[in-house]
Amino acid sequence: MKLTPIRRTVQVCLLVLLFLVPWLNQQGIAFLNGTLYSFAIGPLWITDPAIGLQTLFTTRSLDTVLLLSMLLPVVLALVCGRVFCGWLCPQNTLSELADVVAGRLKIRRALHPAPAPTLRLVMLGIILVLAAVVGLPLVSLLSAPGILSVQTARIVLEKTVGAELGLVGFIVVVEFFLVRRAWCNFLCPVGTVLGFFRVRRTMKVVFSEEETRHCTRCHACAQACQLGLDPVAGGLYPQCHNCGACIEACKIDLTRKPLFFQF
Amino acid sequence: MADAPLRPPGALPEEQFLATCIRCGKCAQACPFHAIVQADLFDGLRSMGTPVIRPRQAPCYLCLKCPPVCPSGALQRNLKEKEQVRMGTARLDTKRCLAWQGTLCRSCYDDCPIFDGAIRMDDMLQPVVDPKRCVGCGICERVCPAEPAAIVVRSATGKKR
Repeated sequence: MKLTPIRRTVQVCLLVLLFLVPWLNQQGIAFLNGTLYSFAIGPLWITDPAIGLQTLFTTRSLDTVLLLSMLLPVVLALVCGRVFCGWLCPQNTLSELADVVAGRLKIRRALHPAPAPTLRLVMLGIILVLAAVVGLPLVSLLSAPGILSVQTARIVLEKTVGAELGLVGFIVVVEFFLVRRAWCNFLCPVGTVLGFFRVRRTMKVVFSEEETRHCTRCHACAQACQLGLDPVAGGLYPQCHNCGACIEACKIDLTRKPLFFQF
Repeated sequence: MADAPLRPPGALPEEQFLATCIRCGKCAQACPFHAIVQADLFDGLRSMGTPVIRPRQAPCYLCLKCPPVCPSGALQRNLKEKEQVRMGTARLDTKRCLAWQGTLCRSCYDDCPIFDGAIRMDDMLQPVVDPKRCVGCGICERVCPAEPAAIVVRSATGKKR
């Protein structure tokens, strides 16, 4: 089964929804309402857990509705890992696209840092403490998917965009010239919080030669990973957001590749 | 020194509102009159992304569709009656008000949703605001034929910035 065509379809559908939902709201159809900070499918409310965590810091209390609406993304992360990042997040879609363009243009990035999970944690810690000190929702202001979804809604409703979009532009420029996929890989607070919800049985990319022993060490998987991870070497998590590009790239044409998703 | 901006109905006090609102824009999407817009950088860094109402462009018609959709509780979701709303208070500048200057005009009185309550006409047929009953929706500011408006809503959610 081809993963990438399915994932591309999901990504495009989400981009369409970012414009369609506010347009439907404008027409008086409010069944779907909201943005990637907080979204409502009728009575089912879904809030980004990073946003909920931030509110705990800024207000030192947690609204019951806000807490309950975090449940679904937490369960999704526990079952499927950070699939929000890899399959839905519009910033990831944009960054992936920019990365392909940069690849075609043979752009050489200035820095090549190794994946650093502690940097993500430190970044989140700083943001949360600062948010508590200044009493402002800094995770909201630094949530690229949230910003993109709010600004697409503003294009539809107000025919304008806000300065928040500057962050998205900044991310794209940095990733284009300075560090490959810097935001998703090292900094994004939304992804860091989603990465907390991981247990032994959470869906993961597994490299196993037990049944096939056919890996030729061609490294096509590692080359396919925009985050610079190597599935054969392991240690993919918490960076890996289960996009499946490595599995797709594996050239071994067998019913079972040595690389696969496993719960 | 500018006033705190006019917030949607049910908003917490300004400082608390700034900390609680997650800038998600759901209230702006829910507003059928597009009266709620999201503040931009020129409204101040602290306000950026928060919902504001600019009544001269589009006032609040008190349909109260926004408080129930707020995911964070920055707008109190249990708000049901328009009379309970306290977004701000209308202030009338009698020097610019047409009625107070001798022309027949009762635009603000006619369109006030707390009819014959928040704005009344006195014995001289001049409008007078009752700050105890005014909800601060800004409809009077919208319809005032004077330019700039002779009646302007001041936000209730906080002290002056």
